Amino acid sequence: MRSDSQETDLIAGFYRSAKRFPSRVALVVGDQHLTYLDLQLLAGRIASAVFKYEQGSFPLAAILAHRSVIAYAAILGILAAGKGYVPLNAKFPIERTRKMLQFSGCEMLVVGKECFHLLPKLLPLMDRHLTLILPEASDVALLSSAFPMHRFVSYGDTDPPHSPFVSDVSPTDIAYLLFTSGSTGDPKGVPISHSNVVSYVQYACNRYAVNPYDRFSQVFDLTFDLSIHDMFVCWQQGACLFCLPESVVKAPAKFIRDHQLTMWFSVPSLIGILAKMRLLQPGCFSSLRYSLFCGEPLSSAYASVWQDAAPNSIVENLYGPTETTIAISHYRWDRVTSPRECWNGIVPIGWMFEGQICCVADSEHKSVSNDHCGELWLCGSQVANGYWNDSEKTRERFLRRTDDGDRLWYRTGDLVRRDDTGCLHFLGRVDDQVKICGYRIELQEVEAVMRKACASEQVASVVWPPSNDGAQGLVTFVSGLETLDENRALAYCRDRLPDYMVPRRVVLIDDMPVNANGKIDKTGLVRLLQAGEK
Amino acid sequence: MSHVSEIALVEAVIRWLYENAETNGSVKAEITPDTDLIATGVLTSRGIIELLLFIENRTGCRIDLTDVEPSEFSVVGSLCRLALRDQDGVYQYVDNR
Repeated sequence: MRSDSQETDLIAGFYRSAKRFPSRVALVVGDQHLTYLDLQLLAGRIASAVFKYEQGSFPLAAILAHRSVIAYAAILGILAAGKGYVPLNAKFPIERTRKMLQFSGCEMLVVGKECFHLLPKLLPLMDRHLTLILPEASDVALLSSAFPMHRFVSYGDTDPPHSPFVSDVSPTDIAYLLFTSGSTGDPKGVPISHSNVVSYVQYACNRYAVNPYDRFSQVFDLTFDLSIHDMFVCWQQGACLFCLPESVVKAPAKFIRDHQLTMWFSVPSLIGILAKMRLLQPGCFSSLRYSLFCGEPLSSAYASVWQDAAPNSIVENLYGPTETTIAISHYRWDRVTSPRECWNGIVPIGWMFEGQICCVADSEHKSVSNDHCGELWLCGSQVANGYWNDSEKTRERFLRRTDDGDRLWYRTGDLVRRDDTGCLHFLGRVDDQVKICGYRIELQEVEAVMRKACASEQVASVVWPPSNDGAQGLVTFVSGLETLDENRALAYCRDRLPDYMVPRRVVLIDDMPVNANGKIDKTGLVRLLQAGEK
Repeated sequence: MSHVSEIALVEAVIRWLYENAETNGSVKAEITPDTDLIATGVLTSRGIIELLLFIENRTGCRIDLTDVEPSEFSVVGSLCRLALRDQDGVYQYVDNR
């Protein structure tokens, strides 16, 4: 343990701000306003409990908390204790939470009181000993007697630290582990190191000239890596983070105005929702300095309407898979020049962050010339080394290119084209991955669950209904059955998959349409749905 | 356009919800005037937009959500009251002429 920190770990910027601005507000959650000092003390208390009660030297600890002060304090506390954090999601089915906890290998879990009700469902499913830190519980006797296999730490068992609690971490240590959709039916862990994320945070702070008077939105769930931008770019410079309550996330217009936010970050589909609710009037978000969008294609129509609503703001489209840490390329919207730079009405993903490298490659991993379509490969200080405990998937996606020496590249699976100016344009996917409201979904994962749900191997999912502003949902087709209990199949999925991955419908058909290669013809399935609409 | 009462509007909205709620399986519970449509997963935000259009067609009034908390317009009863507040505004305007 040491009492100060160099700027090589994710929490260092927060501590520096807490030292410079102890009485400035760091976090607003509902009517709770926490200064940097308040948040540092609370985080320190959690850090000391993690440190005191850990059994081994496992590098990760998990968090089950949702849009609460404890959620943020736990992130800082776990980092301060020298561990990486693994966010779980209270909105996910218990079975998925169990898998995430199991795959991560965590033995320590910090729980916010808003998630206490999940423990009686989760704990009986765990087959190993857990230490649960419950910073808001005064008495854990009932839980201890109900679940004797696990240890519970209450508020009274935690000690306030005497000084900022910082542990030694190396730049290669894991700062956080997130799970994305995996094609085998199980979530896939992406470990991001301190050096990966510090590289991002420093770049973003400089690019957006973040200052202590900025007021940041915090829209994303903690299981979405864009939340890390909100928290740590904000705290790096002593600014204030505003957590949007769950009820506000879907329609945040009034919240932006009420809190005079200066920094906005969300998925683009939110623009469409606000526009349709007539909540995007010209000039209505005059306080915003920057508006960032990431997670799915941004249409030029959305960029334009947002620019009108936030006339004092610079609008940027960011792009980046979780494996390359939050975002790695950007495009700045210009109301005059950008409309003609968009292809098919979609805003370019632009240029790489300084210091990060890309290659547009053909199927033999060789780079293609400008104006040719290819798969986007990424390399640089933000790129992870591989997947968590999954050497097979790591070998598939993290590779060295034949004509490039020893550098490790991440194959994104995204199809792009670089125009004559060097600007990158997103064209689609090379595989079965889709995005719904910014959430990354491997259709194979949905199909793997659906095969079990329907007890049939003949299962195929398609995006439906189609929409210009991103996919809205999924429909799964099943064949090879006499009858289908759709409600039962959907209930099975709901118990195992997050809401956004659960198909809207399951349709039983006699035979799957196939193409010339004998593969399931998904276009044919979409045609079936279109015919049904008529 | 006939004047719509709050009870009639709430009934019509609940009927509409049973027919049009998102079918990703999350809508099997009873829908009452106090149901929070987003929190319970009855509707996504896109569904809310469709519901607003339904209510506007029914009342003949535009619903202005500019200064309304989302927690208010996502609950059946309070959304209907909001719609009728705007309806009353329109009728008062017509009467004054």
